[in-house]
Amino acid sequence: TSGMMMGADARAEGITAAALANTCAGCHGTNGVAVGPAMPTIAGQPAAHLVNMMKEFKSGERPATIMDRIAKGYSDEEITELSKYLATQKWGNNVANARLSMKTGTPFNQVDDALVAKGAKLHESLKCKKCHEDNGRSMEDDTPRVAGQWQDYLLIKMQDYKNPDMKVPQPKKMKKNIDNASLEELEAIAHFYASQK
Amino acid sequence: MGVAAPAIANSHGNHVVVVGGGYGGAVAAKYIRMADPTVKVTLIEQNEYYYSCPLSNPVIIGIRDMEVQKWGYDGLKKHGIDVVIDTVTGIDAGSKTVTTKGGKFKYTKLVLSPGVEFNYAAIPGLTKEIAHTSMPHAWKAGPQTLLLRDKLAAMKDGEPFVMVAPPNPFRCPPGPYERASLVAHYLKKHKPKSKVIILDPKDKFSKMGLFRGGWKELGYEPNYIEWIPAAEGGKVTKVDAATGTVYTDMGEYKSSCINIIPPMTAGSIAVASGLTDKSGWCPVDLKTFESTLAKDVYVIGDSSAAAGLPKSGYAANSEAKVAAAAVVAALQGKPAPMPSYVNTCYSLLAPDYGISVALVSVFEDGKITKKSGGLSPSTASKAHRKQEAFYAESWYQSIMADTFA
Ligand SMILES: Cc1cc2nc3c(=O)[nH]c(=O)nc-3n(C[C@H](O)[C@H](O)[C@H](O)COP(=O)(O)OP(=O)(O)OC[C@H]3O[C@@H](n4cnc5c(N)ncnc54)[C@H](O)[C@@H]3O)c2cc1C
Ligand code: HEC
Ligand code: HEC
Repeated sequence: TSGMMMGADARAEGITAAALANTCAGCHGTNGVAVGPAMPTIAGQPAAHLVNMMKEFKSGERPATIMDRIAKGYSDEEITELSKYLATQKWGNNVANARLSMKTGTPFNQVDDALVAKGAKLHESLKCKKCHEDNGRSMEDDTPRVAGQWQDYLLIKMQDYKNPDMKVPQPKKMKKNIDNASLEELEAIAHFYASQK
Repeated sequence: MGVAAPAIANSHGNHVVVVGGGYGGAVAAKYIRMADPTVKVTLIEQNEYYYSCPLSNPVIIGIRDMEVQKWGYDGLKKHGIDVVIDTVTGIDAGSKTVTTKGGKFKYTKLVLSPGVEFNYAAIPGLTKEIAHTSMPHAWKAGPQTLLLRDKLAAMKDGEPFVMVAPPNPFRCPPGPYERASLVAHYLKKHKPKSKVIILDPKDKFSKMGLFRGGWKELGYEPNYIEWIPAAEGGKVTKVDAATGTVYTDMGEYKSSCINIIPPMTAGSIAVASGLTDKSGWCPVDLKTFESTLAKDVYVIGDSSAAAGLPKSGYAANSEAKVAAAAVVAALQGKPAPMPSYVNTCYSLLAPDYGISVALVSVFEDGKITKKSGGLSPSTASKAHRKQEAFYAESWYQSIMADTFA
């Protein structure tokens, strides 16, 4: 079921959480399940993570290409409501997508087996698994799920985390580990997480 | 296919008919079913396949296959929508009947999203016939997109690519300038003695600062793009298809590759059904998108006169969800819910150079009121522009799945 029940969680005279969340679907896909290759799936992520992201986009603390301009359109209360709603949606990944990218004919999200194996080792050695448990599926302590997230998005995010000029908010311990990783290593990790269903 | 499905809904049931299976109509049909799977929904679309205009400009310069633009209706059938491939020839809001070539459909509520029609007669010398053969608009994706692609490929180095831009309001405000950018990118590589000449009946255009900044940065302006605004003689007075000439007050432009984007109105079925006003577009209640001229008829997408929202695919998607929620609420005897609107448009200036405009709005005091939005920063890095080009492709994949899957 879609969970889109008009009015079910309406606040008095306000906009329903579903109506708010449905407007995100043009970029993040129906019910927050993106089709990729670079737009993140936001369905089923911990509500607290979504709230945190949206508020930091809104304040400008978190650099973005477009979310800063979008998040400013919502009140804190609306952000809370729509995040809670999106958190109840089913996480989806690797939506069956027969479409071909540009002219190359390459299907999206082609994970490379050798890179997946390399990434799996790095996930251990770089101690990512301390927080991203269960091969990135865990959402304990409101950690975002990275397993099955779109590979290109994961890589963009990690490059941004690493870029000292961007000053992306992030846990100190993660920063240290990502700073220690090379671009090739991060690419392997992106393949590994993306391969996890 | 072809033959209309059983036309009349059973007497106790509600029947929503949606006309037009594009960015607006397909989404409305799907979201009505998602909100209330007990409602019978029939989608009537004239073509078996839909070709997306968004990202059709890359097709014109030969870096994208038309196949990637093509979508069918099987996904919508999985939502329990009756898809009928047929052309609507009449709408009678009095008897609440839609007539097609193949049958008749009674409706409780009608959602109309027929896109745009072109006013060829506004440009002396131009006809529909000429647009299909020698001076394509390529402003509905399909055969004309391929015709323009082939004309560009065949054009001699040194000939200009002459584009006639449309007056406001029109489908996809940044679209002509995205097309000019990509053609310039192509010419720079393949026909370095040619340039794009934009003959414009306006003195400014959407994302103008960002486009012209990008044109300088990418080396398009002045050698590969010349923009001639109304004030400098951009207004076209007539065209001659036989000699391949476009005339303005200030001069004449000859080419084997002329792209004329005529002035637009609401889709012809909306005009013929008396749903438009003097402006040529359909006036609607902006809270529900119900026509102010006909009860129980909702007009969304490019055809609607939605002050505050541009005529874009994203806006059509957003309007479709507002109308879907309003229709479902009305059928359930509930008041119309408060709407929320988002629009965003990505434009490519080169395959790895993207810019965007965003808009978040609400319904306030009877109007669509902006809460936030704006343009990509004017001083962004190359990496930032590249990420936006990347996100543009992702946007396309997600919104097409939202529309057809
Ligand atoms: C070159 C170009 C680039 C663009 N790029 C973007 C972009 O990047 N982002 C963006 O958001 N928008 C973009 N747009 C705009 C976007 O394509 C339109 O705004 C959008 O398609 C509008 O949706 P619609 O439902 O109103 O009309 P359409 O999508 O055109 O759908 C109308 C449908 O109705 C059907 N129809 C019409 N009359 C009848 C009838 N009598 N009977 C049966 N069926 C009928 C048609 O066959 C069609 O399938 C672009 C447009 C162009 C031309
Ligand atoms: C026009 C496209 C677009 C729209 C509309 C949009 N987003 Fe985004 N979203 C993005 C992009 C692109 C990113 C990556 C960050 C960036 O560069 O802005 C992103 C990132 C995010 C993230 C961070 C995900 C993560 O785990 O890192 C969240 C949360 C999010 N968006 C929520 C939303 C919500 C909620 C809405 C609707 C209210 C929305 N977005 C509407 C394009 C969009
Ligand atoms: C101390 C706990 C911790 C450690 C260790 C850690 N992470 Fe994270 N990770 C987080 C948290 C919390 C977030 C959300 C951060 C934010 O707000 O951007 C996150 C976010 C991410 C994201 C972005 C997810 C999204 O949806 O935006 C990626 C990718 C990621 N981590 C990869 C890694 C990698 C690779 C490592 C090891 C090199 C690692 N993490 C180590 C806690 C951790």
